[in-house]
Amino acid sequence: MLLELEAVSKIFGASCGACLDLTGEPGAICPDCGSVVAVNRVNLKVAEGEVLGVVGESGSGKSTLLQLIYQDQPVTAGRIFFNGITNQEGKRQDILTLPATHKARLRNRDMSMIYQNPHRGLNFNFSAGGNIAEKILDTNERSYDTIRSRALHFFTKIEMPPTRLDDYPDAFSGGQQQRIQIAKALSSSPRLLLLDEPTTGLDVSVQARILDLIKALQREMGFAMVVVSHDLGVINHLTDLTLVMKSGCLVEYGLTDQILEDPQHPYTQLLVSSKL
Amino acid sequence: MIRPSEVLFGFLDEDAKKEIRRALLKAVALPGYIVPFASREMPIARGWGTGGLQVSLSIITEKDTLKVIDQGCDGSVNAVNIRDFISSVTGVPETEDTTKASIIQTRHRVPEHQLTEGQIIVYQVPYPEVLDSVEPDTARQKEMHANNDYAKLWVLLYEDTSQFGDSRMASGYPVAVNDHYVMDPSPIPKFDIAKLNNSQALHLFGAGREKRIYAIPPYTKVAPLTFNDRPFQVEQFPGKACERCGCRDVFLDEVHLDDGVHYFCSDTFHCDTVLNTRGEGHAA
Ligand SMILES: Nc1ncnc2c1ncn2[C@@H]1O[C@H](COP(=O)(O)OP(=O)(O)OP(=O)(O)O)[C@@H](O)[C@H]1O
Ligand SMILES: [Mg+2]
Ligand SMILES: [Zn+2]
Repeated sequence: MLLELEAVSKIFGASCGACLDLTGEPGAICPDCGSVVAVNRVNLKVAEGEVLGVVGESGSGKSTLLQLIYQDQPVTAGRIFFNGITNQEGKRQDILTLPATHKARLRNRDMSMIYQNPHRGLNFNFSAGGNIAEKILDTNERSYDTIRSRALHFFTKIEMPPTRLDDYPDAFSGGQQQRIQIAKALSSSPRLLLLDEPTTGLDVSVQARILDLIKALQREMGFAMVVVSHDLGVINHLTDLTLVMKSGCLVEYGLTDQILEDPQHPYTQLLVSSKL
Repeated sequence: MIRPSEVLFGFLDEDAKKEIRRALLKAVALPGYIVPFASREMPIARGWGTGGLQVSLSIITEKDTLKVIDQGCDGSVNAVNIRDFISSVTGVPETEDTTKASIIQTRHRVPEHQLTEGQIIVYQVPYPEVLDSVEPDTARQKEMHANNDYAKLWVLLYEDTSQFGDSRMASGYPVAVNDHYVMDPSPIPKFDIAKLNNSQALHLFGAGREKRIYAIPPYTKVAPLTFNDRPFQVEQFPGKACERCGCRDVFLDEVHLDDGVHYFCSDTFHCDTVLNTRGEGHAA
């Protein structure tokens, strides 16, 4: 397995200690202490090269789940394993117990995140090339020529003209900004790409082109993906496997085709019938 | 007019000195790391070297000999004011001789004469935090320093190299100290950066307005951030020499006069030394 989550939880607020048990599918707010259990004991496995979709209503904890994997947020409880991360005895080591610099290295070299809002994923004070360079620099590359040619390589991969590499994000359209995020994310050749609603808010035709681009790049480079989306069309288009979240809990998990055609959980049935 | 008898030795009270010395000790123990201190009101305006002044006053003893320069010049008004003030509150002798000074307070230059063991050079620093240019959030800055995460500074270098062929940072060029903390060496020219590396002297940096202190202990590795396939380029003055002493291998000031551009040593003591030794040579 590339990635394994074991009983991973995230509580916002001062927990009373019983929040995890007092919350669940019916509601994520602890009746005792009022804390929000955004992610409740989620178990999850992602194999190398696998594409997993995450669906669920607003507030069900999808973004939080991605942020926990990407170390954007501290995890409240649980364990996360990443293929190749071992302790001195060669046994797999919970990445949450790694020293900060090792965590950063894992996040910089083996993972990338694409955010719905390009202002979160890109630094608007840096050029498009500078943004891509930042991700490459994060891998400790210190040759200018290598960085420049790598940035250019991925910039052309997202079908942008090389002449625009030194332009600033403001000078690009929303769809183009998402492409630049993709180029940045892939420039470190990650093993895991996390996407949080990468096409929400974009024009339908622009959306379709970006999804095709992501799909093509994933096939070519072979990285695993976890894609969060409200849009079952996006999930259907991109993913092999899907998990359904409700109030922080994983309520259904399986092959995307099966989940969309024959949902088992009543909540998924509702989701599929209302959104497809 | 302040006379020595009327004030404490070194102007600052002992508590203030103790606090600054503690910050200095921490700074020396963590080369390049920025340490906060409670900056005191000084009889000169903030932004005119109050940080450097407080550092100097905290470390100075009766046995010291003081030199103060502003952009290499002992005779500039600011340098003279600071030197006279420190001298008036301590009674220590003043000098322009780099080799005779035990404490050198400076703004924007490192002297041309190589500093030696036992010497302390105190820098006046306007903006201590090297990450301010790329990260406004101070909590994030701390995290970046702790994690040795300077990718954003490297992006600036990348962008300048892409757009201008080299870094545009002319002064205050970021340096990695002891292979860890990256710091702003105060607005010294790139020309002076090499003098920081493995220097025999102790380098102390004081920012009064920002209330920050940092240090480079003697014999510490100091390296400018540079791509491994783009050599660090310092200011060059091709074909130019000091019009006064004839030196070429020093940092020259460009002086624009009615009849064009003139070049002189920025380090006036160095210039005088060269002139004097040549004079002696002629006389002999
Ligand atoms: N920083 C935070 N502080 C407090 N509560 C938070 C924080 N971030 C998220 N939450 C709460 O956690 C729950 C899960 O939020 P999350 O953003 O993960 O949901 P989501 O499934 O991504 O929703 P959406 O589809 O609207 O993006 C929500 O109740 C949210 O209000
Ligand atoms: Mg979300
Ligand atoms: Zn000269």
